[in-house]
Amino acid sequence: MRPKVVITGMGVVSALGLGVEANGFALMQGISGIREVRYLPTGHREFPVGEVQLSNDELRRMLQLPDGQLYSRTHLFGAAALREALSMANLLEHKGLVLISGTTVGGMDVTESLFPNPLPEGHPDVHDCGASTNDIADSCGDFDYISTISTACSSAMNALIMGKLMIESGERDIVVAGGAEALSLFHLNGFKSLMILDRERCRPFDQTRAGLNLGEGAAYLVLESEESARKRGAQIFGVLSGCGNACDAFHQTASSEDGEGSYLAMTQTIADAELSPSDIGYVNAHGTGTPNNDASESAALRRVFGEQLPPVSSTKSYTGHTTSASGSIEAVFCLLALKNGFLPYQSEFQNPDEQCITPVSGKKAPQADLRHVMCNAFGFGGNDSSIILSRYE
Amino acid sequence: MNKVYVTAIVKDVPAEEYGHYLPPMKARRMGKLQKRALVTALKAMEISGVGEPDAILNGTAMGCMENTVQLLNGLQAEGEEVNMPTCFMQSTHNTVASMIAIYTKNHGYNTTYSHRTISFELALQDALMRLRTGRIRTALVCANDELTELQQQQPRFFGQLEVQDRSEAWMLSVEPGEHPLYELENVQIIHEKGQEDHAIIHKKPL
Repeated sequence: MRPKVVITGMGVVSALGLGVEANGFALMQGISGIREVRYLPTGHREFPVGEVQLSNDELRRMLQLPDGQLYSRTHLFGAAALREALSMANLLEHKGLVLISGTTVGGMDVTESLFPNPLPEGHPDVHDCGASTNDIADSCGDFDYISTISTACSSAMNALIMGKLMIESGERDIVVAGGAEALSLFHLNGFKSLMILDRERCRPFDQTRAGLNLGEGAAYLVLESEESARKRGAQIFGVLSGCGNACDAFHQTASSEDGEGSYLAMTQTIADAELSPSDIGYVNAHGTGTPNNDASESAALRRVFGEQLPPVSSTKSYTGHTTSASGSIEAVFCLLALKNGFLPYQSEFQNPDEQCITPVSGKKAPQADLRHVMCNAFGFGGNDSSIILSRYE
Repeated sequence: MNKVYVTAIVKDVPAEEYGHYLPPMKARRMGKLQKRALVTALKAMEISGVGEPDAILNGTAMGCMENTVQLLNGLQAEGEEVNMPTCFMQSTHNTVASMIAIYTKNHGYNTTYSHRTISFELALQDALMRLRTGRIRTALVCANDELTELQQQQPRFFGQLEVQDRSEAWMLSVEPGEHPLYELENVQIIHEKGQEDHAIIHKKPL
């Protein structure tokens, strides 16, 4: 029998704040973290963003990291989230941990600030994805296995999927997985070139939606075999009960009309969790706010759930699209929904669209007794992933 | 637990063979790495007789650097007026694995590892666990990196990380087939703070 994979710690940093508590509060109150750009040195003030409201220096001091060195924001967010997760799971002093982290930007923010000059001679590596993951891990704890997944906007979710596989295969008892991503001029201008950035706050599934807002942040989940968690007497926050990963195999950046890839990812995760669609109490959609994603995802959701569509919402209306980190940030939101018994809702949603599902909206977070929730993350190249988080009982 | 076999290993496909795998019309709009990666993957599929692997995984130390450097140069030259959509969408690290899937219309498990010099080994380990536990029966595991002119001129431009200019593709299967090359026994990943990460592939020649 496969060991049950439970969650014994989590940490998160996003535009909604630092830490699980701050994020949970904003989510329940329906307060958006998307605002005018403040920290990214861009001239594009017309595009609102979901920035973490701390400068690099403030973050560095908070983390007690030495001065006189170049830090990517990816590293700083990652370290903040990882420390919270390890501390919650009582693993800060644990030897021989595993970290699997998703990122695409890595240290690009540092590279672009130096370009066309190279990294100073002798400075530790910052640019590549692996360097940022190693920095995150080594500034927080004792890790003997570190890995980085880079599947664009589904990176962190694929890290969770790999973590579950490692535990189920008996390779390890504890795996920390998630992702970290900073805003960069590189991808802000890249998304601008693709003409999918909204000049107002993004409106996922709304008829007037006109694109996404970029966000940044990090989140990690401590995944653990149930047996190990019980042995350690760890508090259990939920179960990672299902995983699915499929490729849309349609286009590098566009999603297919019928959402084949996301349909396959969602049906796989339901099968992996040994559940049926009617067991799912809430779906945290990928819901970026682009006309194409939301229509395609809605088509896939209708194919999966038919007439019995559970409540769906996109929390990107609060955090912006945190790209590679979105899968784990939104997984934390799902765990909060399970634990605190509420549905994340879109407080600013106004205009239903025939092409789309109608998300949970209103002025207050609806209460809900949730047992199983689904979380989606889709990336460029049709790298579509989906997981199910369940109440531990 | 299934045994896992390596049924094809392909690298350094000669340029004159490209046309056999990739019609010039289709290759026209592809970058050098994309072409080389795709041809290498398609040849591994042909040799192994596995046209539709259950999974496609790629390992890349630095991702698609040609497009990345082009966009960085664009930002430098034009500032934030820069408008290079194709370059941007093909700059992400997962471009290669998803391009192979798009080209062969493969909806299976698809992922990309980008962790310094052990990216390929991490992809191999992921595939190995899936094959062993019966989640999949075949997997194409690739390694792809390119060296831009900038990196050739200034090897330390992005840091100390040593990148190999290469495309390589392995086909793994739970069936030995007619000509298995190795049995893949284990992949060991080692991280020590302050040391370069390393990995060991344990494979038994057959």
